[in-house]
Amino acid sequence: MDMKRDYYEDIEIFSSGTVLFWSIALFAVLFTLPLYMPSYNIYLFNIILVHVILAVGLNILVGYTGQISLGHAGFFAIGAYGTSLLMMHLGIPFFAAIIAAGLIAALSGFIIGLPALRLEGPYLAIATLGFGLTIMHIIGRWEIFGGRMGIQAPPLDIGIPQWGWSVPLDSDVKMYYLILVIAIVMVIGARNMMKTRIGRAFVAIRDDDIAAEVMGVNLLTFKTLSFAVSAFYAGVAGGLFGFVLGFFDPFTFNLILSIIFLVMIVVGGLGSVLGAVMGATLITYLQYDLLKNVDEMPYLGDALVWISRKYFTVIGLENFNSIMLGIIMLGIVIFEPLGMFGIWIRIKKYWKTWPF
Amino acid sequence: MKGTRSMVFWLLALILVLMLPVQGHAGPPGFDKKEIRIAQWGPQTGPAAPWGSVARGSDLIFRIVNEEGGIHGRTIKYFIRDDQYNPAQTKAVVKELVERRGIFAFVGGVGAPCGMAVKDYLAENKVVWVGPSTAINEYVFPVNPYLFAIYPLYEDEASILTKYAVEKLKAQKIGFFYQNDSYGKSGLEGCKQRLNTYNMSLVEEVSVEPSEKDLSSQMLRLKNSGAEVVFLWVNPTSATIALKTSATIGFKPQWISSDTLSDFPLMNTITGGLWEGVITGGFCLPPDSDHSTIVKYREAAKKYAPEERFGTFYLAGMLFAEPLIDALQRVGPNLSTDAFLDALNSTKDFQGIGPKITWSPDVHQGTDSIQILQCGPGGSSILLQDWVSNDLATWKPK
Repeated sequence: MDMKRDYYEDIEIFSSGTVLFWSIALFAVLFTLPLYMPSYNIYLFNIILVHVILAVGLNILVGYTGQISLGHAGFFAIGAYGTSLLMMHLGIPFFAAIIAAGLIAALSGFIIGLPALRLEGPYLAIATLGFGLTIMHIIGRWEIFGGRMGIQAPPLDIGIPQWGWSVPLDSDVKMYYLILVIAIVMVIGARNMMKTRIGRAFVAIRDDDIAAEVMGVNLLTFKTLSFAVSAFYAGVAGGLFGFVLGFFDPFTFNLILSIIFLVMIVVGGLGSVLGAVMGATLITYLQYDLLKNVDEMPYLGDALVWISRKYFTVIGLENFNSIMLGIIMLGIVIFEPLGMFGIWIRIKKYWKTWPF
Repeated sequence: MKGTRSMVFWLLALILVLMLPVQGHAGPPGFDKKEIRIAQWGPQTGPAAPWGSVARGSDLIFRIVNEEGGIHGRTIKYFIRDDQYNPAQTKAVVKELVERRGIFAFVGGVGAPCGMAVKDYLAENKVVWVGPSTAINEYVFPVNPYLFAIYPLYEDEASILTKYAVEKLKAQKIGFFYQNDSYGKSGLEGCKQRLNTYNMSLVEEVSVEPSEKDLSSQMLRLKNSGAEVVFLWVNPTSATIALKTSATIGFKPQWISSDTLSDFPLMNTITGGLWEGVITGGFCLPPDSDHSTIVKYREAAKKYAPEERFGTFYLAGMLFAEPLIDALQRVGPNLSTDAFLDALNSTKDFQGIGPKITWSPDVHQGTDSIQILQCGPGGSSILLQDWVSNDLATWKPK
């Protein structure tokens, strides 16, 4: 169905008028969301959007370039601490600070990318895992980073307060618009990049790095570039996350977070920007909101709590929360190897030929 | 051409939407004629799950209150939310509770980063928070009008324990083993402050990172210092490794530790019996106490939560809720946040299963008192000294 007749059609960001229309409709819904959504949900959307940025970036590395990273929480932390500290100690305006923090993350991504030239699979996983843990410990030991106690993010102001031009974003809703705009730019940016020479080089490395090199793809350049780009996304996401949270400590960026990030893109579908967006949304929703209020449902809530206390631990409903999250992840990986993106393709196909 | 025009139209629509004034939603009030809504976050799952019993302990005491007829005709509706010790999730559950359910007050709340992430949000929304389950100076200095702390500060506790070590145990050589963070450093500070009054100093101070698994060099340093008493201001894992390591190198000082390690049955089990003889502070009467209130709670626990272990952290959940209930009772039927704040601010020498608690508009740290306990055989607790306050507490109004 996605027949391409020439090269220029292939590299269009919006492959058809229909896609463009629905994309714009989606943006319109997203931009008007705070009007019909209670504000506590906006906080959840902020977290989701931050995770979307990170997942899209991680997917460039894992899904498109075929490398692995168990250390993305480290880049995420560099972004969060970098942005806040640059603003607090050097008085750098927000946009400059977040880009600088993203670039610092990208630089560390480049450095981590160097061993990736020789390491593959589980060995690379261990190397990146070590990086993630190291970052967490360095931050925890250094006084300037607030030590293990953590730091308070400065008030978010996207203007340049030093020059008397102040645009404070003091509510979740205002922050939502900032994050939404950045997320849209970065998601479209990723989609666009995958349609360029760089993106095709990444895919070539994933499919067979020797063949890619024979064809003229410089492995040194593109593997490290993939790490750097991916880390830049994580850094920007981290910078925003710091403000969403307001206060963070090193333990916030632990190993489990790196694994959750990986889960997002595997569940969403590797090697697809849309998949990463869907995966980040689903996993964040499941983690933050799933079953949190089920105990007030008539009958079912009481029954679940009873089963949990009787057969699991004294905790009650939260047992089911973890079990459900696990079952959904397992189900998707076993029955839908392409992730949610695979489901999406099938739905699309079904409606294309409907009613036949 | 047509495409461009529709693009422009959509863009304009977007800009219009963006310019619409966006108003914040105020949450519903935290109480009505029938119920008062109180909530707590706490790690029920995840790495910090053992501390989840604090939130469930508060549940028990609210059940008792409701069974006894509630508070001036209102029952307490209590919400527990699992945040997995993740501040991002804490903020999500707290916002949802405050803005959707309407919460009158929060009680307890495990986790320094979790509490710090929501502290300002709660104050902005005029939601009272009583008894965070961590002692952090940032909670109480400067005074946050909506936050009332009970947990004794670690400086005060270490100071009292040091006094006990010097005056009762006649210790001459004291070593200090602390976790390299604000918890450990506060303890160290309190100990040094007290030693200064005796013109003494520590023979050795050694820090540890919470994740370190090999403590042999630290224990050797303490052994070589000749310390007779060693303070442990660390987490349960480090404490266990420290005791096991020093047992193998034949180093047996009198260990003194913070109240965070006062769950004797637990500590005695994970250290394989080495915890026996360790002295700790106690912020709450021990679970095996025969104090009438503890007996009452123990009976209620048998009835409402028979599968729950009646331990120190479970009791802590009740301790944090007691002064909240006391203040609600004193407010009377005309409940409001301001009246409740007045009642809390006029709490004077209130005592339940913990120390005497006093709050005033200027000081929201409720106490500087601890008990001194020793771990007896099989994880039982021996009372060495009843509630004692810190005469050196710097924050107390003179």
